[in-house]
Amino acid sequence: MASIAGSSTFMASLSSHKPNQVSNFKSVSLAINGKASPSLKLRSTPSRFRVSCAATPETVDKVCSIVRKQLALPADSTVTGESKFASLGADSLDTVEIVMGLEEEFGISVEEESAQTIATVQDAADLIEKLISKN
Amino acid sequence: MLSYFCKLGLKMKIHCFSQKMFCTSALSPLPLPSRMETHLWYVLPNEVKSQSLLSQYVDLLPPPEKDHVFSMRGDELQKSALLARALVRTTISRYQIYSRVSPRSLVFKKNAHGKPEVIWEQSDDWHPPQLHFNLSHTSSLIACGVTVGSPIGIDVEEKERTLKNNILSFAKRYFSCEELEVLSAISDPEVQRHKFIKLWTLKEAYVKALGIGFSGAPFNTFTIRFGGANPNPEVLDSAIAVVPLEKPTNLTTNWQFKQLELADSHYAAICRQNDGLLGGESMKVIVRKTIPLVEEHCVPRIDSIVRVDELT
Repeated sequence: MASIAGSSTFMASLSSHKPNQVSNFKSVSLAINGKASPSLKLRSTPSRFRVSCAATPETVDKVCSIVRKQLALPADSTVTGESKFASLGADSLDTVEIVMGLEEEFGISVEEESAQTIATVQDAADLIEKLISKN
Repeated sequence: MLSYFCKLGLKMKIHCFSQKMFCTSALSPLPLPSRMETHLWYVLPNEVKSQSLLSQYVDLLPPPEKDHVFSMRGDELQKSALLARALVRTTISRYQIYSRVSPRSLVFKKNAHGKPEVIWEQSDDWHPPQLHFNLSHTSSLIACGVTVGSPIGIDVEEKERTLKNNILSFAKRYFSCEELEVLSAISDPEVQRHKFIKLWTLKEAYVKALGIGFSGAPFNTFTIRFGGANPNPEVLDSAIAVVPLEKPTNLTTNWQFKQLELADSHYAAICRQNDGLLGGESMKVIVRKTIPLVEEHCVPRIDSIVRVDELT
């Protein structure tokens, strides 16, 4: 059996698909042979489409650093505004810890309804700006 | 119709170490859980090393699920996401529901709150089973719970997981007052941490069973109580009860819980409806460790670890 330890191309070799780069599509529904394939809806994120305060780069950087620390990401891993928490390996406990870290760092309080809409670093940064501007 | 196992030409090795000693032959379908049973399947990513096996798992997935797997950052996360999809597809197909289901043919959707469900093929001559499932994973263990006739939520967590935040600060912010008191009363930091993780898994399992999302049931609006809201001391595992804290509430309470250890490394919590069929008996859980498409082992049932004096 081929060992996969340490091989960086192992999973890449299994992928004949480029990962979908579009982060904003909400659902895809294809009709194949007359049957609709499952409509995979991303968690609805209406906040993306509302006019909201654009987060400053400093805020985005602070969020990135809190996320890196929580997920113990290697120093060379890329974390940007577009990075999705789930893709970085954050499970629900990580996400709550990250939100708690953000609350402490920025002196805000994030309600569960808002926390549930956070999918990317940018979402978190935008929410922080919105909450800060309310204070 | 040949079962898909035959087509792949793989041997199914089934070993049962359970005291109940039921052994099934390699190709016979597994009966669905009875309404009184919960099945819990798990896979350890460390035990799945074969590239050809992983590529068979990739072949089971429709394009959107493949995209999701390969959108994860790094090999380990991709492998974990892949195993989760392989586990759920092969597990549900194991029940060979009238031969109509194969891992590749299953179609999933998410409910309004994001909880995954199966979309069953509809036809006049077939009534789909009331099969419910729920997945949970950590980097080192992926689990799938299956029931018939009851929604289910499960959560697994590494026993040795540490929080980046202070446990009591976290509990103060997110748990109920009663739970914070329970944790505060524990002086040994390791015991306190383990209790925290057990509480977390139970709360997560409840919210996932409800299927209304984290915001539908914020963690500080209900208490998980050990020692039971149920006054009957004869009743095991109603030792764990959920108590909503607000009135009125949309949080229902006719749920039963089970806490388990898996693979000596993880705590697992299961939450399913309590429809009275068990008559006060504790939740019957059959645990199977598996490598999808390759093998499965029944694991002897481990009783709830909530009350040490009740362990058999």
